[in-house]
Amino acid sequence: MNIVELADVCKTYPSFRLKEVSFSLEKGKITGFIGRNGAGKTTTIKSMLNLIHTDSGEISYFGVPLSGNEKEIKQRIGYSTGTVSWYPRKKISEIVEVTRSFYPDWDEAAYRKYLGLFGLDENKKPIELSEGMKVKFNLLLALSHKAEVLILDEPTSGLDPFSRDELLELFKTLKEHGVTIFFSTHITSDLERCADNIIYISDGKIKAACSKADFMHDQGGPGETLEEIFLRLEREVRS
Amino acid sequence: MNALLKKEMRLSAQLLTYLFIGFAFMTMLPGYPILCGVFFINLGIFQSFQSAREANDIVFSALLPVAKRDVVRGKYQFSVMIELCGFALMAILTLVRMTALSDAALYRRNALMNANPFYLGCALVVFGVFNLIFLGGFFRTAYSLGKPFITYIIVNFLLIGIAEALHHFPGMEALNAFGFDHIGLQLLTLLAGAMLYILLTVMSYNKACENFERIDL
Repeated sequence: MNIVELADVCKTYPSFRLKEVSFSLEKGKITGFIGRNGAGKTTTIKSMLNLIHTDSGEISYFGVPLSGNEKEIKQRIGYSTGTVSWYPRKKISEIVEVTRSFYPDWDEAAYRKYLGLFGLDENKKPIELSEGMKVKFNLLLALSHKAEVLILDEPTSGLDPFSRDELLELFKTLKEHGVTIFFSTHITSDLERCADNIIYISDGKIKAACSKADFMHDQGGPGETLEEIFLRLEREVRS
Repeated sequence: MNALLKKEMRLSAQLLTYLFIGFAFMTMLPGYPILCGVFFINLGIFQSFQSAREANDIVFSALLPVAKRDVVRGKYQFSVMIELCGFALMAILTLVRMTALSDAALYRRNALMNANPFYLGCALVVFGVFNLIFLGGFFRTAYSLGKPFITYIIVNFLLIGIAEALHHFPGMEALNAFGFDHIGLQLLTLLAGAMLYILLTVMSYNKACENFERIDL
């Protein structure tokens, strides 16, 4: 069952164009969204969150269009980014207290669990956190309101190998609980570790959207790793 | 209190915004253009917008389970709340000047605007102009603060100048009445100010929502 669908989403900037992006996300699967820097990953994710105004195309969650149902849909999805920090000089506890008032389904037990698991101190401020801890804080907010779909923009950026391993294991656990995870990355080993499906974007256009096995079979040569396939495909695009 | 207003007050607002409500006490200054108090209250609101921008507040808000235009609503609710707090304080102090201090020589010798309902009406117009120019201007981009605020400053001081000059024109002396003199006319100007405030704020809000829907964050 497809829980998220994008159909022919287009967005034009003066120096970049997202070209008819279409793909769907299956319920309870982990989908890795890969592409080089500037390929259109963040623009696609921003479109999915209605942060940017798309030129055309349709985005729907749980069978209903995002347009007109934004409020209800956002109750059921979670977003995290590794690159932005919110309210750097406010205590985590203050940010959480305000955030929870927006979610009737806020799960305090889950919040406490992940707070401990991520080793976050509620009395700290985002400005006092390392890049990796900021990622974990953003993820904590996303995980504490029983989100059915997690949209994560480069969640493993800035994480040390141990934390990355923990995070990818967490993805697998969440998947077992039926959570759909969509994460962008340019680290191919993340995909090898946990992705069921791969969506590959290059120059604003989706080049492949399929299961990881199919991607390896269709795009890969004999003995090629995911990283080698990705590098070769990118070189072919550039040449 | 709704969640959006709570977010504005707890996360986005600067302490200065609340402290600057105290500039309503400028109502009590003799020999001073007391409408400037409105400017300082609005300067306090500007401080919160500035710090909110540095804290990525707009994107954080847009990611919450609210419709995109609700982000605009939260900012307007907060600004109007601060303005009305300042206005309420100004109204109380104006009443003090109109009653207990109506014959005080210090105020009677005042060549500038007197604290009366006309003054309160003018204050509401300046608040409305702030909402129209600054708030509306900010939501054209959701990051650019300088241009709308400078535009507001220019218009603000022009308005203060006009309001201060009006009662010096022949036949308009009643605008600077003391105590409860010309109270009918005075209340009419207050009512007109209140209506303009509502009109300018609603116009600005509707336009801001429309613009914000089109912005790429």
